[in-house]
This record gives sequence, C-alpha cells and structure tokens, in this order.
Amino acid sequence: MQKTNKGKMKISRDGLVAGLMLTPALIFLIVCSIYPFIWIFRYICYDYNGFTATFTGTRNITRMLGDKTFWNSVGHTFEYAAYKLIFIIPLSLLMAVLLNMRMKGSNLFRGMYFMPTIISTSISGMIFAFIFATKNGIANSILMDMGVIDSPIKWLMSRDWVMVTVTIMAIWGGLGNYMLYFTTGMNGLSEDVYESAKIDGANGVQTFFRITLPMLSPVLKVVLMLAITSAFKDYEAIMVLSKGGPGNRSMVMFLYIYNLIFGATDSTSQAQIGYGALLSIMAALIVGTVTIIYNIVAKKLDDVV
Amino acid sequence: MEKGHAVYSTQTKILRGLIWVFMLFMAVLMIFPVIYIVFGSFKGNSELLVGGTNIFPKKWVFSNYSNAWQQANFARYTVNSIFLALGVMVVSLINSTMAGYVFSRRKFKGKEILYGIFVMFMFINVGSVSLRPLFELSVKLHMNKSLISVILISAGGGQATYLFLSRGFVNALPMELDEAAKIDGCTFFQIYRLVILPLLKPVMATIALLSFRQGWNEYILPLVFTMTNENLRPLTVGVNMLKNAGDGAAAWDIMFAGASIAIIPMLVIYCIFSRNFMSGMTAGAVKG
Repeated sequence: MQKTNKGKMKISRDGLVAGLMLTPALIFLIVCSIYPFIWIFRYICYDYNGFTATFTGTRNITRMLGDKTFWNSVGHTFEYAAYKLIFIIPLSLLMAVLLNMRMKGSNLFRGMYFMPTIISTSISGMIFAFIFATKNGIANSILMDMGVIDSPIKWLMSRDWVMVTVTIMAIWGGLGNYMLYFTTGMNGLSEDVYESAKIDGANGVQTFFRITLPMLSPVLKVVLMLAITSAFKDYEAIMVLSKGGPGNRSMVMFLYIYNLIFGATDSTSQAQIGYGALLSIMAALIVGTVTIIYNIVAKKLDDVV
Repeated sequence: MEKGHAVYSTQTKILRGLIWVFMLFMAVLMIFPVIYIVFGSFKGNSELLVGGTNIFPKKWVFSNYSNAWQQANFARYTVNSIFLALGVMVVSLINSTMAGYVFSRRKFKGKEILYGIFVMFMFINVGSVSLRPLFELSVKLHMNKSLISVILISAGGGQATYLFLSRGFVNALPMELDEAAKIDGCTFFQIYRLVILPLLKPVMATIALLSFRQGWNEYILPLVFTMTNENLRPLTVGVNMLKNAGDGAAAWDIMFAGASIAIIPMLVIYCIFSRNFMSGMTAGAVKG
C-alpha cells in the first residue's frame, strides 16, 4: 500500500477493498470446509471420546474391516439409494412430461408436487412417523378401511417393512426437485421437433421415447448424478423416522457415523470420534467411487448411443 | 391453451381426462401429509391416539397450540427459529453478493484455482463428522452460548450455491456500468454499493428465500450445538426432542401442533413466492 505513485495507490486501495470483500467467503471456506476436512485425518488412528484421545495405531482400521454393522449399513445405503432412484426418476420424469401437456391447473399441480421440498426433512420424518404408526397411524386405518389389509402393518417396527416406509418418504420428499429439473430441461427443447413429429403422425408415447427422452439425455445424466450422490448422503429424515431401526435394518452409513460421533439419541454410549472419522473417510470414498463409476458408465453409454 | 381442444377426438379427450385425474391424484398424495398434520393439530389427544381415517377433527381443539406455546416452550423455539433463519439469510446475502462481485469483476492471481476450491468443497461431503471440529472450535471460542455460531456455520456451509448465483448474475451485467461509474469517481466498493447491488435485487430475492429456508429447516447442526442448552433450540430440534422424550405416544397433540408451527410459516412463504423458489432451485443446480 505504500506506493509512491498516486494512480497505483488508488488501484491498490481498490485491491485491498476487494480483498476485504472476499474475506468473509474465504474465512467461511477455511473454517467451515477446509479445517474440518483436515481435522478428520488427525484422529483416524486415535480412540477419541471428545475429552481424551489415545493413540491406537491401526486398531480402528482392523475394527472397520470386521465391523458388520458398518458394512451392513453400507449395504442398506446402496439398497436405499436403489429403491429411491428406481421409483423417483421415472416418476418425476413422468410428472414433468404430464405437466408439459399444459392442461388446466398445471401450474397449481406443479406447485403442489414441489411443496414437500420446502419442508425440513426432520419434520417430514416426524410426519411420516405419525402417518405410519402401527396402532393409530392413518395409513393403516385407510388401508384397513379399504380392505387392502386385514391387520395393521408394522411399517416402522418390522424388518420387512421399514425400508418400504423409508422409501415412500424419500420419494415424497424428493420428487418435486427432480420433476423441476426435468421440466426446466424440457423447456429448453425446441418446439419445432414436436411440430414435425405431430405432422408425421407420432402419438404421445412415440414422441416421448423417440424425441423427448433422447433430447433430454444430457439433462437426465446430470439429474441422475445429483440423485445418486444425494441418495447416498440422506440420513436426516431416516434418523427421525426410524432411528435406523428396527435392529439396524434401516441404518444407513451416514446415520451410523453420526451415532458414533455424537452418540445415538436413545443410548448413553460414549462418542467414538476417531473411529467415526475413519468411517467418514471410507463413506466419502464409497460415494466418490460410485460417482466415478456412474460417470464412466454414462460416458460409455454415450458412445454406444 | 383451450383453443386446441376443439380438434381432439373423443378418444384423446378421454385420455386427457384420465391423465388429468391421475395428476390430481398425485397432487393430493403429495400434499396429504401436510394437510393431515395441520388439521390433526386441532384434534384432541385422545382422538389422535385412537386414530381413524378422518382428516378433519371430530371436535376442534385449539388448546394444543396454547399448550405447545406455553408449557412446551415453543414460544422460545419459534423465536430461535426466526433468529436462525434471518441470521443465515442476512449473512448469506451480504457474503455472497460481495464475493460474487469480486469474483466477477476483479482480476487477481489464482482466481480460477480459488474458485475451483469453492466448487470442490461443494462436492466433498464427509457428513456429520465435520460438525465435530466446528463444535469443539465454538466451545473454545466461547461461541456455543448463542445461535451465532450455528448461523455462521450454516451460512458458511451453504455459501457456494449462493456465491455461484450472484457471480453469474453480476457476470450478466454489462461492464460499461462499472466503467461509467469509475469515470464519475466511484471507488470499487462504491460501484458495488451504488451500482451493482441495486441491480442484484432479483438474485438477492432468490438467495434470501433459499437461505431463509435453509436456516429455518436446519436440523442436525442446531441439534448438535444445542444438545445441552434447551433454550437455544429451534423448532425443528424442539419438536423432535419432544418425540424422543418419553415413549413418544404421550403428547401427540402437542407434537402435531409443534410440527405445524414448524411448517406453516414456510408454507405461507412458499405460497407467495413459489415461483422464486422453483427458479432458484434450478438456477442453483445449473450453475452448481
């Protein structure tokens, strides 16, 4: 700043101001993103409960390799992501196509489909816990009234049903998002192609598979990528809805890690931060690997088609 | 929209009718949980514990809200939620417009690399473990006695999206504006304050909505930070703590009312600004 030249001084003062204006974002980046990231690595070889840390060498790693609960939770994460994607992608695409027909009330419908995304996932987990309560939940009441089932389904209390319930909630909470991505993608498609398809006598289904879907494939690829990564990271709603139970049946890996690091909500077990940190890295690697594999597959498909 | 109907054959009309009914059915399914919880919050506890298929209360009870408000400390939680949401909003607005402006208009060494780091950390997600060091840090700095640290961490964690939004918006503004202002003697900051900021209103509205929602809906972060301090809990945490306390079946009426208090303000905002929410979501996804 101690430049003799007057013009230069003005520039450097502007530079200083620019630096100051960028400072909050930089501090946030360093404190909220970079620092925690480095911190994780510090404790991976320690047994750390929040107060005292003891060096344990490779014990955390051997424990991870033999930790059935963790690897089961990884399996459940894949299972959850698969269920969620299988239903949510076609359904949101379908809703986007139907909305694109611009029938009466389309705007209102779109607003209603998107509405769940503005509700806190913790609250929606709670709402679904009420709806799917075994004894007095409205889902069982309606199904029994309609004669679909004879006795109440244990939506959240049985190992067979809990993933169904979790999936239903995930579809409800995410449908609006993906629908909106598809709608936006479709708005970018040219009208002319549809005109000529119509003249050629293509019906709605033909138009969809021959025109909309191929033209939408770049959007589809991005949406799929977003859907995959976000499905692997979901745990907030599950934490509220089923707490990972019963018997860890709906325990996904990030929920298991949360319980290790901050202690499970309904137990008094001590935090195991070092081990949790190691599992976090493992989980991030798993998500990263899945993303990379997806990208390779998507590219291969691109070359084929 | 109606013009085309004349040319549709009867078959097409029936098909379109069926599609419309299906769309209506989906819409009802989507809003059902919210309708159920909001109307359920006016039911008595005994009615809720018995269950049944009725959505509207058999007997309208309004004391759930006053009970939640007074006995269950929801007045406190609501104030905390508003403070948290407004805080995240204000910090995000100031931070992202300033940083977006600098990133768009200023040339400096390593700008692209720095920008790349911002993007990179948007995708690196190690989950809740990153809250542990931040929690310990805020204890060390004696910042765990207020929600300020929660606001800063929430705003800091979500800043990348908002930064991209505002940088993209400033990029679209013509450079001539800056040059003209510079000739008139404006400094770098004055150009931001007097020229750019007023033009950023549309994107600021989007950032305001998205960041307000983010703060209002934040759960894990305030949960961790208010573990031992009940008076700092926002609604999301408060109402869930109620669920965890006891066997959970005891106070359905208060929980319904509490959940309603937590979602109704957001629903009202959504009804007014739904378009901005949707455009913000897609813009964020495309830019990000």
